[in-house]
Amino acid sequence: MRAPRWIDALRSSRPDGIGAAEWSLYATETRRITLQTKDRETGNAHVPLTITDSAGGRYLIVWEDGLVSRGGLERHDLEQGAASAIALARAAAYDDADAAAVLGPAEFAAVELHDGKTARVAAGDVGPLAERWRLVRKTVEGGEFATWSGAIHASAGEALVATSRGLDVSVQTTQVRWHVSIDGEVGAGHSARAFESRDDFSARLERLAGCAALLRKPAGPMVPGVHDLILHPGVVEDLVLATLLHHLDASTIAHGEGHFRREQFGSSGPVLREDLSLRLDPLLPLRSGSYRFTREGLPAKGCVFVDRGRLKTPVAGLKYARRLGIPPTPIPYGSDTLFLEGPEPLREREAQARAEGGALVLSVLGVHTLDLASGDFSLSAPQTLRLGAAGPEGRLRGTISGNLFEILRSDSLHLVRFEGEHTPGLLVRCRLDPE
Amino acid sequence: MIEHLDALSSLADLLGARARSAGTLLIWRTQIRSVHRVLVQAGKTEESSTATSLGHGIQVFTPEGGTAFASRDDFREDEAAVLLDRALEIAASGTRLGLHASPLPDLVPERGREVPPAAAAFERIDLHGVALRLAELEAEIAAQVPGVTLKLSYTADRDAWRIFRSDGTDVLYVMPRCVLRVQATARGREGPHSVGCSLGGPDPGLPWDEISVRRLLQRAESAARLAQKLPDAPPHRAGSFPMVIDYALAKGLAHEAFGHASEADGYRSSILARDGKLRIGEEVGARHVSIVDEPVPGDHAWQPWSANGIRRGRAVIVDHGRLAAGLADPWSAAQGGVAITDAARAESFRNPPLPRMSNIRIEVGEPAAAPGTFESYGPEEVRDLLAAGGVLRRHRRLTFLSGYAGGQVNPATGDFVFQCKAVYELSQDGIVLHRPAIFAGSMFGALRSVREAFGPLRLDALGTCGKWGQNVPSSGGSHYFVVLDPDPTVRLGGA
Repeated sequence: MRAPRWIDALRSSRPDGIGAAEWSLYATETRRITLQTKDRETGNAHVPLTITDSAGGRYLIVWEDGLVSRGGLERHDLEQGAASAIALARAAAYDDADAAAVLGPAEFAAVELHDGKTARVAAGDVGPLAERWRLVRKTVEGGEFATWSGAIHASAGEALVATSRGLDVSVQTTQVRWHVSIDGEVGAGHSARAFESRDDFSARLERLAGCAALLRKPAGPMVPGVHDLILHPGVVEDLVLATLLHHLDASTIAHGEGHFRREQFGSSGPVLREDLSLRLDPLLPLRSGSYRFTREGLPAKGCVFVDRGRLKTPVAGLKYARRLGIPPTPIPYGSDTLFLEGPEPLREREAQARAEGGALVLSVLGVHTLDLASGDFSLSAPQTLRLGAAGPEGRLRGTISGNLFEILRSDSLHLVRFEGEHTPGLLVRCRLDPE
Repeated sequence: MIEHLDALSSLADLLGARARSAGTLLIWRTQIRSVHRVLVQAGKTEESSTATSLGHGIQVFTPEGGTAFASRDDFREDEAAVLLDRALEIAASGTRLGLHASPLPDLVPERGREVPPAAAAFERIDLHGVALRLAELEAEIAAQVPGVTLKLSYTADRDAWRIFRSDGTDVLYVMPRCVLRVQATARGREGPHSVGCSLGGPDPGLPWDEISVRRLLQRAESAARLAQKLPDAPPHRAGSFPMVIDYALAKGLAHEAFGHASEADGYRSSILARDGKLRIGEEVGARHVSIVDEPVPGDHAWQPWSANGIRRGRAVIVDHGRLAAGLADPWSAAQGGVAITDAARAESFRNPPLPRMSNIRIEVGEPAAAPGTFESYGPEEVRDLLAAGGVLRRHRRLTFLSGYAGGQVNPATGDFVFQCKAVYELSQDGIVLHRPAIFAGSMFGALRSVREAFGPLRLDALGTCGKWGQNVPSSGGSHYFVVLDPDPTVRLGGA
């Protein structure tokens, strides 16, 4: 896919008599097919089989007078509406010297991001989607569950970055993403650039069914207080990693809105427990979070954000890298290329044994309502399993609360390996108030 | 902008004829949306942009009930015809793919047009002027509350749709929205705390509207002062307490605790339904409490027609304590045992619509008076209002939850949560500020526990509602303050 009309229009436009001195364009074109089920009904009027063709992107223009324009583009803006989109961009231009950063050519590593089978599905061969959905139905029927819902998408497309400094790189990509929930309670899913194996898919469904079955049984009472809790990898991604990434974001640091301060990066003082690290590796083949280049044209490469509890670098796009006076970094676009690491993780059974008398928190409600700035959390945990001597005993509902930074500095924190999951779970001590 | 939708009549005729000759019903949803945005921090413009999105979604229904959806982000005639053919092919092969048949409802064609006067002003937005104005407002707030980091944003969104059906329906409507947001961050010993506030209206000239600006500045000052105090505030103990919530939280309660569960596409699993039908007539709350959903002109979530081209109606979901109506569309109403108010909304042309809320409110019978504006009530004024109303004779201490910070619900189980911005313990002995904590529980317990209300209805608590991957504007409210008796199934979580 090319975007010549937008680039040609930009080269020939002089809105207000001012032309573009520099520019950067990120553009994508994607075709996607989606199969969905809502409460056992697949492809009904609310969740029809859906095909989507879309194109779009993001741009940066540095005008001759030094003002910048930044924003999003859609297909119309890239094609017939290019001249008018550029005029609108000029009308929105503003003074932001830090944002006026355009990259030139670079070396881009090769990484596998495209799968032929997924591309065929995205083009209309829905057989593989239907086949996966048959496996889901079989699992639901086998467990005698009342209902299930879910969605599975396959997409194929192309992305490019081009700049006025001669950067011109493109890549073809595919993506498969699915999520299923049983009885409206607990869910599981996976995302990658190709279909996972049938065995892995089935194993994931079996584990989901196992959790859903356990949630049917009530557990005995539990006393409110501080307990050993295992946070499922899904909870770690939604709560812990999302909060950490918010605080590591260079714009948050630059504006003084986060827990971390600029001077803490590169210093010797730890801010988290000294055996914890957070790093990105976007060059792993066929992972959802893998890529060749960022949306600004920065080559993908590994990056360490936290090393042995010490802050190494914020997550920084070009603008805020310049604002903070640091090199720009690759950006985490998916959790499967982000590594939260520490001492050897406990296996699930071992963690459950250590947390006997505590609980396994499968999911939480309310993450998006938190004030991320403080790190405090107070969340409803209605899908929680009480842990007894023999492992999960039955369902609890309650509220968990605490402070994430205290947890990530605590000696009682352990990583937990969950089968089939990339992100670790966490064994933590925090407050649980059962209903 | 609207002229681009006006120009689609002949393409609509072409697609409609093609669908009819294939024996199918076509719903063709076309959209053009422009969003202008400015973000100012520390007097500096950090973002300024205008984005326009346009495209169409084709949904076809075969006589056998098969359906498919296809979308594309342009209005090219050749591509639209190809897309329609692909959708027809998929819908026709639905049975082979194991797709559910959705019976074709009887629909009455409609024609109409609603373009609010405020829509025209979107052609004249000067983002540079907006940025200067936000910087002025920031300076005013900072002068009142020094030492707080402020972030101000302006979003002006003009969302225009034209919905065609192959039965001759043709409706066009424009939904103008403008929102100003302020986020205040203060740093304490242990880290920062942020508190936000917002104000909305249909006119993009909102930053210059005197009454609106005065209200925003009052809210922003309160938010900034709260952000300064929160870092040193202790957590509140967990448990069930007598509570008072403000109208924004009451909207959250209505929205999360009842609204989603009353959306008819979920009746096969909703706790408000049995065997797929809404439990009409059952007592679900106190008899002096009703929950109403309807589009309100000029409101953040206003939508005059559904995304199926049917006039959106009013739904009294809970009528004096009893379940009375659901939020349904033609494909869920009969199955769900409810009337069609056509609550179908879609985030964009790329999405098939789902039954969604519009402006939802809790109404409490015989509310007590609360003189003055809502913004004139700080925690002391709320305490005094409740004392004058006799509430503090019933409960020595009350927990006041102030400011809505979002919520979530599981309609299958009835578990809901919402977050507040601050918790105050009110008593005649004094007022203690606590850190925000999650308010969670059972929807039935929550509605049963509504005891009384103070003040007139305020319905401008705006937000964004997420469902099945689609975000749409939401709004609503209640009386200024609503008092809840303690209920064991409704709890304030620890913090």
